[in-house]
Amino acid sequence: MVAYLARRLAFAVFLVFAVSSAALVLAKLAPGDFAADSLGLGASPEAIAAARARYGLDRSLGAQYGAWIAGAARLDFGQSLLFDRPVADLIPERAANTAILSLTALLAATLIGLPLGVVTGSRPGGFLTGAIRTASLLLLSMPPLLTSLFLVFAAARTGWLPVGGMTTASTTSGWTGDVLRHLIVPAAALALPLAAMFERLQSQSMSEVIGQPYMLATHARGVPAARAIWRDALKGALGPIAAVYGLVVGTLLSGSFAVEAITAWPGLGELMLAALRARDVYLVAGCAVAGSVFLAIGTLLSDAALALVEPRTRET
Amino acid sequence: MSQFLTRRSGQLASLLAVGAIALALAGSAACGGGSSSPAGGPAGGNAVRPERGGELSVSARTEPRTFNRLASREATTDLVASLMQAKLVRINRVTDDVEPWLADSWTRDAGGLAYTLKLRPNVAFSDGHPMTADDVVFSLEAAYAVPLAADALQPGGKKLTMAAPDPLTVVLTFPVPYAPGLRILDNLWVLPKHKLEAALRSGSIESAWGLSTPPADLAGLGPFVLSAYSPGQRMVFARNPRYWRKDEKGTQLPYLDRLTIEVVPEESTQLLRLTSGASDVTISEVPSEAYATVKREAEAGKLRLYDLGVGYDADAFWINLRPGAFKSDPRAGWLQRDEFRRAISMAVDRQLFADTVFLGAALPAYGPITPANKKWFSPDAPRTPHDPAGARALLASIGLTDRNGDGMLEDAGQKPVQFTLVTQKGRPRLERGVSVIRDELKKVGIAVDVVTLDASAVIDQIMSGKYEALYYSVYFNGTDPASNPDFWLSSGSTHLWDIGQKKPATEWEARIDELMARQMRSGDEAERKRLFDDVQKTFAEHLPAIYFAAPRMFAAASRRVINVTPAVQRPQLLWSPDTVAVAK
Repeated sequence: MVAYLARRLAFAVFLVFAVSSAALVLAKLAPGDFAADSLGLGASPEAIAAARARYGLDRSLGAQYGAWIAGAARLDFGQSLLFDRPVADLIPERAANTAILSLTALLAATLIGLPLGVVTGSRPGGFLTGAIRTASLLLLSMPPLLTSLFLVFAAARTGWLPVGGMTTASTTSGWTGDVLRHLIVPAAALALPLAAMFERLQSQSMSEVIGQPYMLATHARGVPAARAIWRDALKGALGPIAAVYGLVVGTLLSGSFAVEAITAWPGLGELMLAALRARDVYLVAGCAVAGSVFLAIGTLLSDAALALVEPRTRET
Repeated sequence: MSQFLTRRSGQLASLLAVGAIALALAGSAACGGGSSSPAGGPAGGNAVRPERGGELSVSARTEPRTFNRLASREATTDLVASLMQAKLVRINRVTDDVEPWLADSWTRDAGGLAYTLKLRPNVAFSDGHPMTADDVVFSLEAAYAVPLAADALQPGGKKLTMAAPDPLTVVLTFPVPYAPGLRILDNLWVLPKHKLEAALRSGSIESAWGLSTPPADLAGLGPFVLSAYSPGQRMVFARNPRYWRKDEKGTQLPYLDRLTIEVVPEESTQLLRLTSGASDVTISEVPSEAYATVKREAEAGKLRLYDLGVGYDADAFWINLRPGAFKSDPRAGWLQRDEFRRAISMAVDRQLFADTVFLGAALPAYGPITPANKKWFSPDAPRTPHDPAGARALLASIGLTDRNGDGMLEDAGQKPVQFTLVTQKGRPRLERGVSVIRDELKKVGIAVDVVTLDASAVIDQIMSGKYEALYYSVYFNGTDPASNPDFWLSSGSTHLWDIGQKKPATEWEARIDELMARQMRSGDEAERKRLFDDVQKTFAEHLPAIYFAAPRMFAAASRRVINVTPAVQRPQLLWSPDTVAVAK
C-alpha cells in the first residue's frame, strides 16, 4: 500500500511540474505579450520596449523558464505582471475560494447523486426511476456554462439569490451567511451535472451488484431489502464512483473556470482567465500549478480510496 | 502622441451568453407587459433634484491594472483615476469644451506659446496636504518619466515646460505652436508630490501605487477616496471629505456617499445584475447584441436607456501597406494598389454591414471621422458607392479577372485573388464584421481567409507589420485631430497601414503630413477646419483604411440613478462622477 501510494505521489509531483511548465511555455510562445496588451495600440515602440525590459519579457524563453523553475523550486512563482504582486500571494486567496466552491459542489453532488443512483439502480422500472434518469440525462447534456447562465438568470428574475459575486458590499447577514447565499448558484451549476453523472454511475454499478450471487444469498438469509441495498449492495457498488473521484476534481476545476466567470466568483478560474487575457505568463503558470495540485490531490485521494475499496488495484 | 485605446472584451462565450440571456429575458419581458419607456433621453431622471447621500454600484468587467494612471490607460484604471484624481482642466465630454478645473483661470501670452494658469486656492489632497503649483510641476515630471504617459504630453514630439513662480501659479510653455492648446492638459493628472516624489527620484514611479498599495497610502484631488479593495471582487470608494467642488447651490460634491465598483467579468451577468437591481450602471456602453433586451427592460420600467447617438469611432479594415511587406509574394503586384482597396470599399454593402454587424444600430461610415465629431467631420469627403459591378471592373483594370470560370478572380499568374484577414477573437462585432467582409468580397470574386487572435497577438502583428489585412477597433484619444498625430502622420505609431515611417512612403502621405503639420500649428480655427477637410479628402481618395459602419451608442442605468450627463465617450454615464446622484 505504501509503495503504491509513493508511486502515485511521484506521479502527482511530475503532473504538477509538467502542467505548470507547459502552461508557462505555451503562454510565452503564443503571439503577443503582456507589454503589448497592457499598453495597447497607441503606445510607441519605445514604450513597449521599455515595458518589456521592465517586466523581463525581453529575455529568451529559456532564460525566463530557467529563472521561473528555479524560483518555483523555492515556492517563489514570480511576480504577477497584471497585479504587480507576488504570484504566491495571489494564488492562495483565490485557490481557497475555488476550494470552497468545488468542495461544496462535490459534497452536494455526492449527497444528491449517490442516493439517487442507489434508488434507480435498485428499482429498474417505475415512474420515479424514469423521472430521475430523464433529469440526469438532461443535466448531463448541459455544460456548466449553460447551467450557470440559467441559474444566474433565475436568481436575477426571482430575486431570491444574489446575482454573482462572493459577498455583498454592505451585508447585514455576516460573512459566512453572505458567502453561503452567494455560493448556492455557482455550486449548484457545478454540482447538478456532477450529481447526474454520479447517479448514472451508481445506478449502473448498483444494478450489476444486485444481480450478484452474494446479494441473492443476503436476501435468502432474510436481511431486509432496504438494509441489503443501503449497506451491502452500496458497499460493493462504490468502486466506480471512487475511481472517478480524482478525475471529477479535475473536471470541477475546469468546469469552474466558466462558472466562476459567469457568476463572478473570485476563484482560481476567474484569476486564470484574467491572466490569460492579459498574457500574464507567471500568473498563468502559478494558476496552473494550483490547478494541477488540486488535480494531484484529488487523484491521490481517489487512488487511496480505490485501494481501500478494491485492494487489487494496489498491484497495478 | 495620440492614444488609441484598445477595447478589451474578448470574453468566454460572450455571444452565446448574451444570446441566451437575451432570449430568456425576451420571453419574460413579453409576459411582463409594457409600461412606457423613458428610453432615449438624457433628461430622463434628471428632473429629480440631486441630494447628498446614497450609494452607487458600478459593474466593471476587469479590475484596474494599477492605481497609477500613468502606468495604464485601460478602462477600469481610467475610471478609478477619474474617481480619485483630478486635472488642471477638464474637457466636457458632452460639449467638448475645455473647462476650468483645478486651474480656475488662465491667460495666454502674445506669442501664443505660454499659458499662465491660476490654481484654485484652498484645495487639498484627500490626506489633507495642500495642493500647490509644485504638485503640478511634479506631475508633469512624473508623466515624462513614464513613456506611456509621456506620449500624450509631447506636442510635435517635444516636451512641455512648466514653472511654478508662486504656489498658486503655473506657467506652461509649449515647445512649438500647438492649436489645441490647453486641451493637452486633459492628459495630465495632478498627483501628490509628497506621496510620490521618492518613487520618482528612485526611478520606480511607473510601479508606484500598484494594486497592493494600502488605500491609506493613496491620496488625490478627486471626489472619492478608496476605502477598501477586495481583489477579484470590488473596490469601495467613499466620499472625499476634502473635495474642492460644490454645485451651483453651494452643496458640497460629490453627491454620493459611496461608490462601489464590482468586478463582473461576463457581459451577460453584468446585464442581469443591472436588470435585477444588483448594480446601477456599467462602465461601458450597451453592446449591440444586448440592445433589444435592454430596451425591453427599459420599457418595462426597470432601467433607463440612454441613446447617445453615433459613436466617435468606427472599426477599420486595412491592408498592410508597408513597402516590401509582400516582397517575395506574387500578390505584391496588386495587393497594395489603391484600386484594390477602392474595389473592396465598393464591394461591401455598408447598409447591410450596419444591419448585420450592429443589428441595425449603426450608420454607414466612409472614413475615420464619424458624424459624431460635429466640429471636424467632413460631409463633403468622397464616398465610395456600393457598386459590385464597378468593383469587378476596377479589379479587372489591374489584371484580376475570372480566368478559369469558377466565379473567383485570378491574377495574371493564375493565382487566386486571396488574402488573410486577421481580427480579434471573442469580440462578436469584430467577428461578425469579418464574416460580412468575407461574404461581400466573395461576391466580387475575392477570397478571404479569416483568422481570429487574442488582442495582444493582434497588436503584436500590427506593431511588427507581419500580416496581410486587419479588421480592428481603434479609438482616437480626443476629438481634435491634432490630438491624434500618430494616426495621421506617416511617422506615427498608430499609422495603422504602415507604422513609424522614416519618411513618407507615398506622395499622398507626404501631403497629409504637410496638411496636418499646418493644421496643428494654425491658430485660425476656420483654416484648421479647411485643412482637415483636405486631409479627409486625401484619405478618402486613397483609402489606406476602410470604414464600413459607425455604431450608435447606448448606455443603461437603473432608474434610481439621477443627474447623469450622458456622453458618447467612455465612461458614458460616469465621466463626471461627482455630480451623479441616486434618488432617495
